[in-house]
Amino acid sequence: MTDWLTAEAVRRPADSAAPIVVVNDIRKRYGSLQAVDGVSFEIAPGEVFGILGPNGAGKTTTLEMMEGMRPIDSGSALVDGIDVSRDPRGVKARIGIQLQASSFFDELNLVELLVLFGHLYGRRVDAMALLADVELTEKARSQVRTLSGGQKQRFSIAAALVNEPRVLFLDEPTTGLDPQARRHLWGLVRQIRERGHTVILTTHYMEEAEELCDRVAIMDAGRIVALDTPVGLIDALLGRGFTKERVERLANLEDVFIDLTGHTLRED
Amino acid sequence: MRRVVYWSLFVASFKMFVRNRAALFFSLFVPLLIMLIFGVLNFGGGTTVSLGLVDQAQTAGSRALVSALEANRAFVLHPGNRDAELAQLKDGHRDLVLVIPAGYQLGPPGPGTPALVAYTNAARPEQAQVGGLLLDAGVGQLLAGGGGSGSGAPLVVLQKLAGRNLGYIDFLVPGMLGLTVMQLGLFSVAFGFVQLKRTGALRRLFATPTSPAYFLGAQVTSRLLIGLAQVLILLGVGLWFGLQLVGNVLLLLAISVLGSVIFLALGFAIAGWAKNEDQAAPVANLVSLPMTFLSGVFFSRDAMPDVLRTVTDFLPLTYLNDALRRVTNDGVGVTAIGGDLLGLAAWAVIAFIIAVRLFRWE
Repeated sequence: MTDWLTAEAVRRPADSAAPIVVVNDIRKRYGSLQAVDGVSFEIAPGEVFGILGPNGAGKTTTLEMMEGMRPIDSGSALVDGIDVSRDPRGVKARIGIQLQASSFFDELNLVELLVLFGHLYGRRVDAMALLADVELTEKARSQVRTLSGGQKQRFSIAAALVNEPRVLFLDEPTTGLDPQARRHLWGLVRQIRERGHTVILTTHYMEEAEELCDRVAIMDAGRIVALDTPVGLIDALLGRGFTKERVERLANLEDVFIDLTGHTLRED
Repeated sequence: MRRVVYWSLFVASFKMFVRNRAALFFSLFVPLLIMLIFGVLNFGGGTTVSLGLVDQAQTAGSRALVSALEANRAFVLHPGNRDAELAQLKDGHRDLVLVIPAGYQLGPPGPGTPALVAYTNAARPEQAQVGGLLLDAGVGQLLAGGGGSGSGAPLVVLQKLAGRNLGYIDFLVPGMLGLTVMQLGLFSVAFGFVQLKRTGALRRLFATPTSPAYFLGAQVTSRLLIGLAQVLILLGVGLWFGLQLVGNVLLLLAISVLGSVIFLALGFAIAGWAKNEDQAAPVANLVSLPMTFLSGVFFSRDAMPDVLRTVTDFLPLTYLNDALRRVTNDGVGVTAIGGDLLGLAAWAVIAFIIAVRLFRWE
């Protein structure tokens, strides 16, 4: 799918390059609910950017407005230089989207689906190579409904990669997965990042954000309440004199769980 | 690029249908099963006699005779003029045609009183014979009540005419064509599409730069193609059962496409309105069930009460079945079924407007 040359072309140094995503004061209202209330940020090419927040904070709506999946009430979003409101299809052609709870056509197998999705972008894809990237080679002729939760999410990411997107959107990619599958998916996101794709993801899991994200925005009630690197956010909190009642140990319960049950994926 | 997108979605839509066992079961297996059961049982071999009635006299006596025949439940009467009714007889739609000649008086035949003539369909000897006896007895009874007769001369002169013997299969197959066209349009779309909507597969599709119109077009055209295949398969099975197909198959396919357009549009209207399959199912059944039984799929609408028949004349499946049946049984061309085609076209417009009003992608 992506050889080294194209990977280099997609990748840009994070510091020097112009931002690949510019979100400026976007808002969305559903009836009496102001779901997104003036959100702004910029994302550098090659960055993994996390949006955190409790349920109903406006993460998914923010993502959907950037993706061209939902009209923006006011404000603007530029993705790879294209105004989402003016040319949603142009944006969709340049990005990859993994929806929360993605679903595909039941009667088609994985290869057929990837070929079909490639065609929807006017591309001829090497479906087997894509499946190999997400370790689903042996499921090539299976239907999506026969996959486990982790496999479904990996397939969903493969489908989001058919057009070699400049920006990949992952909406809660690890929700509902067991710790093994979650860690496996983290590995996949790191690989995707290595290839130079910009990744924007939402999550409920703080350790996930800490593991994967270069920077995170924390949202609450439709607004961004903090935006920095994970370390920066923690330092800022400590700087305000925060102390934990219980002293953090060098391992947590998840480390125990993984130590006892291993990293091996359980797909059945 | 556009052609690739459309073609890809078309192939996908087609595969999705063919690989869906439930869809195949209901759209292909069930109609075949119905044909098998009804064909074997031969429900058409009923006990009524189809009687064409030509009253050229229009006298008190002839009217008395007509009302006496109307009271006889063994007859299904078709009043009309001589040429039309005899044509119907030749095409196998009448067992007998009774002609009451001008100047007929209620009385035994004699000088100045021309005899009643009944033409019988030679291809249906049993019905003709029973009908002849019933006619004779009926007229005799009327005369006995009205003053009697004496001479032993037959009251009704029977004349054999060569006609076709249309069996029940000839009635059933066109009806089944109409029924499957309706079912395919309504159910495959109403259920299939609502499922794609509910699971989010449709949403995923629109995360790509593809215009929704391509998917809609692919779905419609793949269904049309499947519908045509169904029509051909049912016709083939019908022929195997002894169907006398005298019409133009291409015209049958064209009529089926027109019918499909109506029911596909209604299917999309239901799918667009409903949030899930549980909402779609009752509405789809509410549309299809009355037509299944009132539009002349299994049984002739001739036996219906007049009011019901007049109302159901305007149902889309009635137009469709009538047109398909006329072409299949009588081999007529476009002009002869112009009224039905007009009715279908009107329904296509109505269904399209409803679909546009109700359809929502999400």
